[in-house]
Amino acid sequence: MATNTLDRRAPASPIKKIAQRLEVRMLLLALVIAIGLSLLSPYFLTKSNIFNLLDQSVVIGIVAVGMTFVILTGGIDLSVGSVAGLTGIILGLSLQHLPIVPAIAIAVAAGGFIGLISGTLITVFGLAPFVVTLGVMAIGRSLAYIFSGQTAISNIPMAMQDIVYTNILGIPSNVLFLLVLYLAAWAYLTYAKGGRTIYAVGSNKEAARAAGLNTTFYAILPYVLSGAFAAVAITFSISQLLSADPLMGNGMELDAIAAVVIGGASLFGGRGSMFGTLIGVFIMVMIRNGLNLMGVSPFWQGTAIGTIIILALLVERLVSSRISR
Amino acid sequence: MQSNLAPVAEAEFSPLLVAKGITKTFDRTRALQGADFELREGEIHGLLGANGAGKSTLSKVISGHYTLDSGDLSYRGHEIRLRSTRDALRIGIAIVMQETSLVPDLTVLENIFLPELGRPGRLDYSRLRQRGQEILNDLGQGDSLPFDWEVRRLSSAQKQLVEIAKALGVRAKLLIFDEPTASLSPGEAERLFDIMARLRDTGHGLVFVSHRLEEVFAITDRVTVLREGRTVMNARETASLSQADLIRAMVGAELGAIYERKESHTQQNHAAVALEVRNLSSTPAVRDVSFAVRKGEILGIGGLVGAGRSETVEAIFGLRPRSGGEVILNGKKLGADSPKTAIRAGLGFVAEDRRTQNIVPDLSVKENLLLAHLGAHRGFFCSYASREKKVKELLGKLGMPEERLADSSMLNFSGGMQQKIIIARWLLLEPNVLILDEPTKGVDIGTRASIYAMLRDIAAQGVALVVVSSDFEELLGLSDRVVVMSDGRTTADLPSAMLDEESLTLLAAPRTSMVRNTEMLNELARAHGGSGFWALLEHDRLICLNAVVSNPALDPGFKAGEARELSATRIPEALRLREPIFVPEPDGSRTTLVVPMTSPRGHDLGWVGLSLPTDRPLPAPETIKSRIDTMAATL
Repeated sequence: MATNTLDRRAPASPIKKIAQRLEVRMLLLALVIAIGLSLLSPYFLTKSNIFNLLDQSVVIGIVAVGMTFVILTGGIDLSVGSVAGLTGIILGLSLQHLPIVPAIAIAVAAGGFIGLISGTLITVFGLAPFVVTLGVMAIGRSLAYIFSGQTAISNIPMAMQDIVYTNILGIPSNVLFLLVLYLAAWAYLTYAKGGRTIYAVGSNKEAARAAGLNTTFYAILPYVLSGAFAAVAITFSISQLLSADPLMGNGMELDAIAAVVIGGASLFGGRGSMFGTLIGVFIMVMIRNGLNLMGVSPFWQGTAIGTIIILALLVERLVSSRISR
Repeated sequence: MQSNLAPVAEAEFSPLLVAKGITKTFDRTRALQGADFELREGEIHGLLGANGAGKSTLSKVISGHYTLDSGDLSYRGHEIRLRSTRDALRIGIAIVMQETSLVPDLTVLENIFLPELGRPGRLDYSRLRQRGQEILNDLGQGDSLPFDWEVRRLSSAQKQLVEIAKALGVRAKLLIFDEPTASLSPGEAERLFDIMARLRDTGHGLVFVSHRLEEVFAITDRVTVLREGRTVMNARETASLSQADLIRAMVGAELGAIYERKESHTQQNHAAVALEVRNLSSTPAVRDVSFAVRKGEILGIGGLVGAGRSETVEAIFGLRPRSGGEVILNGKKLGADSPKTAIRAGLGFVAEDRRTQNIVPDLSVKENLLLAHLGAHRGFFCSYASREKKVKELLGKLGMPEERLADSSMLNFSGGMQQKIIIARWLLLEPNVLILDEPTKGVDIGTRASIYAMLRDIAAQGVALVVVSSDFEELLGLSDRVVVMSDGRTTADLPSAMLDEESLTLLAAPRTSMVRNTEMLNELARAHGGSGFWALLEHDRLICLNAVVSNPALDPGFKAGEARELSATRIPEALRLREPIFVPEPDGSRTTLVVPMTSPRGHDLGWVGLSLPTDRPLPAPETIKSRIDTMAATL
């Protein structure tokens, strides 16, 4: 009796199990894109371009960490781009009066505070994440213009460049930061009580609450992290450019959401991983980089990227329905 | 439509709808297995049955929500095949459900004529308004609906009226009312019955699906009873039936077979009280619930669908806000703020719906098993390893190989195994009290037995169990004691050895009259210093519906829910004679007046009795009798 009450379906073979993991299939896609681009452009696989790719992944990669947390709970954060812009201006203004470390701390705290407001409105008052973060997106951008006086802040101390241009063990500090951040986020989501609660909230909030999990706190936390990471990301941007522009971060939310979704997360929550998101980020950056190398006009790049994302997900949907059958 | 009417043989009783041998199976459950039903023009036909008997399924087959598997359905003498509710509506069959088919943001008028909105061409609002007014006038409700209001602003009774008007807007001839009085006040229900009577008089055929026996007697002409998906009483005249006849047909047990349960779990339990609930309320579903459960005891909570059982246990566990009363766990008051508080205080809860309330589909089997641990755990990491030993032990009991823990989804397991894993989720925490809401719902018969064994085993280890179940057989077989709920109140609390399915059904039936009856019994008993009761009498047996004892010396020898041979009570003489005077018992202990209670339509609502001491002047029997009659007349 024990066996026939256990199973409805036969267990999958090990190979099938691996193929069933979306991240694995997306990793294959990333490799295909890399090989394709290296055939199209001989420059693509050079050492300097690879460092260039990693460097370009940092800003979007950091934002995508917070976005992964939010999407895992079944939410969405459209405000990251404008929060990045606003906190960038806050950082630029703070740097006029304060040393680097407290200035960055203020900017990151401001990002987290904005996330706390969004998360509370969404979780406690039951407003739709899409609408709340859309509103915050408009407010954030508008405040960025007002605080900056509509002009870029360009007298950023040169010392900020150390954040990006220091090499540790031969790896640029910003790339190292990205990799450590992904490792930490992965460990938190996999081993910490909070991480598992975030998955449970996105998968079945009612069951999670009935099992005694603190669903309110862990539904708000991802928005706080998302806002804070937007500020961290813009800090790296500003360190490279030595300028804070109120327009910074424009459209960043779309790149971040696309990266998370390409990485296999479900917009309904409960499914997704840091590894998948990292691959998603690389896919996005590689496509952009490859199109630049091939000299595709920037005006055509949006069309190309949009088409590739949709095609990738369409193929994925068709393949996955075949595998899981 | 008028042209092809079948030749009318009996002008008065032409059958409107005939269903023969209807079967319908969902997944593995056979909801209907050969149901027959016949409805005439100009009648109100009661459709009755216990929980899960197939009433709703049959209603939905007739109204086109479900397609039947086999069987014949004929309407006005023509065989019909319904593929959708639109098919049914087109030929004139409509179902009035609880607010489900209305669009809250459209106006009353637009909702009544919703089918017209789907037609091509322009809408003539003034013509629609005129037709809507005619329909309401025909129902005698000319001015009770504001046509221009959005439906969301209406009361439930008004919404129901919109549903009825909508059905008449497409000229429906057959209307099905599925538990229409569930959310109505007594006055509103009265008005609904008035509307139903008018529809009957204008030649419509009405099906009235209800748990409420008093209403069935008040409004229906004929009654059909379903049991386990079959018709067991086919279209009997309501006037020829008694409450006991209906209950017997619904339950299927032989009346008079008062069997003593001789099982080990009938012995008295003197362990400490683990959980006590006092006058709990959580509006609107839970009004006044009190019970207590001891360590090692299995307490069943019985009642019909909609009695407020799930809401009660959710309010205890902190999933639902309370509006009054208190919950005491292990001698300490338990707050209502969140499940986490309840869990840390030693309570566990297996919710009713596995898929939406218990299983987290994207977590592995292991994490689902450890979910309550995660909720109760204080610390940054998960600390799954700390429970490893206990997990192994539980898996052994469940008969599940350890490697299956790594499975990525619970959903590949059978319903029974899923349920065992959910129960094990709570056992890991070693709770003092475990509440289970419908623990065998969607579980196949074979696995049920092993779940029962598991629950008995848990109780034997000293855990207090509270089991909510709609399956009365399961409730009686599993529980040491049963608390019956009806309309959000506890109506009885008895050892299961003293109950059978029949008396349980009687106690669970929602009674509009129960509140007022209890008030009256209380007043009578107090005013005269005696004891009062309300009971059904049949042959030489009594089933007590309610008893109020203000003087312990005058205890009649039975409590609410108990069934007794007349000779086994303490007032056999009065019950045997049933005279309209006070009858003294031969032992001289008391004298008792027993008065029949009759509904306005002449139906037996049972007997009301008042026992008084013999050493005092007695009140005039007529004044008490008229008091009872006055109350019965307003029911």
